[in-house]
Amino acid sequence: MDDPLIVVALLLVAACATAAVAVRDPERQALVLAVLGTALAVLFTVLQAPDVGLSQLAVGSALTPLLLMLSVRKVRRRERGKGRTR
Amino acid sequence: MNGWTATATAVLALGGGATVWGVATGPLGRRVVAQNLSTSLACPVLLLLAQGYGRPSYVDLALVLALLGPVGTLVFARLLAEDLEGDPPGARAATYAVAVFGATVVIVLCAVAGPGRAMVKLLVTGALLVAGNLVASRALAGGFSGSRHG
Amino acid sequence: MTRRVRRWVLAVGGAGLAALLVAACPALPPFGGATHPYGDRVVHESLARQTANTIASVNFDQRAFDTLGELGILFASVIGTVVLLRQTRDERRAAPEPAAVSLPVRRYALIVLPVALLTGLYVVAHGQLSPGGGFQGGVVAATALHLLYLGADYRALENVRPIGLYEVGDALAASGYLVTGFAGLLGGTAFLANTLLPYGTFNTLASGGTVPLLNAAIGMEVACAVVVLLARFLDQAVEIEKESGS
Repeated sequence: MDDPLIVVALLLVAACATAAVAVRDPERQALVLAVLGTALAVLFTVLQAPDVGLSQLAVGSALTPLLLMLSVRKVRRRERGKGRTR
Repeated sequence: MNGWTATATAVLALGGGATVWGVATGPLGRRVVAQNLSTSLACPVLLLLAQGYGRPSYVDLALVLALLGPVGTLVFARLLAEDLEGDPPGARAATYAVAVFGATVVIVLCAVAGPGRAMVKLLVTGALLVAGNLVASRALAGGFSGSRHG
Repeated sequence: MTRRVRRWVLAVGGAGLAALLVAACPALPPFGGATHPYGDRVVHESLARQTANTIASVNFDQRAFDTLGELGILFASVIGTVVLLRQTRDERRAAPEPAAVSLPVRRYALIVLPVALLTGLYVVAHGQLSPGGGFQGGVVAATALHLLYLGADYRALENVRPIGLYEVGDALAASGYLVTGFAGLLGGTAFLANTLLPYGTFNTLASGGTVPLLNAAIGMEVACAVVVLLARFLDQAVEIEKESGS
């Protein structure tokens, strides 16, 4: 097997996952999560699991960021609405 | 391990490491650019892996990533438009370098594959990859400047 | 419990877990081996039924009942989201404002939208041959529709998305999966048994018996479910507001 490739992919996923936990702001977290999804898809491909990799790509590259960012936007709007006095 | 997977390993180690660093630190503008570059780098890596493992069906992953990666960046460009307005991210050099790298990988793989269905699929993937990468970075640099509530 | 005690409890628990994990590792089969007793049997079964993609054979033939459970989970969670994110009495709908999108982005979205839809269908249809299948293709197709929101605005998306139709499609696809299962039962064998249709020629679109049918049902279910799910999120984020004054 291609050991250096597996090691690099694993390290990338570990670094990215740690960053996703360490970053505090939800918007920036969504950005790190999108990169983590791509890294995971590469790892799955390297481990010869392309079906799982394809699922990860389909869900992680656009759908999860969209759901997260829409939730953040809703929360922000509510806060802005509270601050506004009409 | 062959030349294809060795190249993929090098790109993954250097480019992947740089994008993870870029997305985890620094101002918001740099982070969205790093997110965009991560998908445009991972797509040629997947193509190289498909060639290296001798499994043409793995090209489907690169095709889906070339389609949906820029869509993900458009999501961020759209919903972070207000935050990015003050300081629109540029990173023109890095964007073009990654686009040229993607195009080079696609052309080399096409030359190896020879004319046929596989080549058409590679060309579609390459076109989507380069166009998506450039449009997404254009969108980050103010493509949604007028949008506030839509 | 003070902070310090809690830290000690965490450290002891973590150390115990780490010790158990390390102790378990030597008993694992070697990493990345070429042979596996279960894998060999699975590949043999899937080749016997002319299914080129072994994973599709596991998901939609040998373990089709598990996939029914996953379908149920997705179906139930979407229903839950629809109930939770409905418009309540003290909320009102504001018409979404049109967005100014630069021309290249708009053009890109309109060109990629049909390509992405087609790719989704391709991934669903080739589920029994190459990596992919109903779930992956369904998500790609559903994401493609939302390029209208990204490339234009929410009103453009609403025009091509009669949400009731997608809710009906979701239910129809889920029951389609069940009906295929019961057809196996009526055919004299077992629920979801892959014995009804001819297995076809290896590595062609019409191979694998009921695998392509179940793949199509899952693809439609997932696509409709994702559209309904995102519709609720978009409604909340773009349209629904708290009644001003309350």
